[in-house]
Amino acid sequence: MSASMSHAASAEPNLTPILDMVFQLITFFMLVINFRAQAMDLHLQLPVLGSARPVKPGPADTDVLLLNINSSGQLTVYGHSQELGPYIKSEAEKRLKSDPTLQPGDPLHATIALRADQATPFSLLNRVIKTCQENGFQKFLLKAMNKKEG
Amino acid sequence: MLVFHKRKRKKKRNLGEVELNLTAMLDMAFQLLAFFVLTFKPAPVEGQISLHMPPAHPTTNINAGQKAGADENNKNPLQGLNTLTITVTGDRAGNIDKMYVGTASIANLAVLESQLQRQLGDPGTGFDQVIIQVGSTLQYQGLMQVVDVCTKIKMPDGSNLSKMSFVELPSGSGM
Repeated sequence: MSASMSHAASAEPNLTPILDMVFQLITFFMLVINFRAQAMDLHLQLPVLGSARPVKPGPADTDVLLLNINSSGQLTVYGHSQELGPYIKSEAEKRLKSDPTLQPGDPLHATIALRADQATPFSLLNRVIKTCQENGFQKFLLKAMNKKEG
Repeated sequence: MLVFHKRKRKKKRNLGEVELNLTAMLDMAFQLLAFFVLTFKPAPVEGQISLHMPPAHPTTNINAGQKAGADENNKNPLQGLNTLTITVTGDRAGNIDKMYVGTASIANLAVLESQLQRQLGDPGTGFDQVIIQVGSTLQYQGLMQVVDVCTKIKMPDGSNLSKMSFVELPSGSGM
């Protein structure tokens, strides 16, 4: 009796539609995943400016060096603390080597994207800007939010 | 003859029909989906202010300066100078305390904007860049408010002001 009942209840669901849906979801997440966010220190509270608008990167903005500066002036890159001077110098040297038309002392084409905490005193921030300028970086992007988070 | 062939083929297909077990594939797909859902962290939408900042040093338009200097009737000491200086100091909390354009005191950011527009938007003055002297205690938020005002200024050629440099005021200088 029980054997015949279990035989009657057995069913094989068609898994193809659910598999299709799952693959579509995977495709969506793969497309929207943004590895650039890994470079950002999301603990920083950026300054809030009403007029700060996201800008679409142009062809000249392909070489961007992202620097996260916390309120005590510490540089963080990809979640790791770095010594400011040696790090900027090594990045500048990399760019000088990659472009044979550049001589030491020439302004570099790369852009510094500065993500600094809104409570960072200017004295600490200026140290970062000066170090970048001394190593040939002249283009800067100062990051800000256009509204408070949370 | 043709009918016979068709029948034969149909029989063969029925015999060779296979049913793929999709369960394992579905398991793997769900694991992938779980990974993407758990690691998904949308990046905050950030704005940015683009600046060209060569090392700070005030410059003089030599031709204009010589012309202005040679003119005995010229009473404008700034003629020929193409760098406008803005001074911003911070209070103890790091907020904006005092602001000056040149030596003129500025009450607030709205006044700063109108003052800068008058001076930088006038082709007669010849200013094309700004040096912002910043008190060492001023926090980044306060500085960005001033920078934001500066980048809104329309130059005589219609472009926005983007040439600016920062200079740190020695600590304790309250102007």
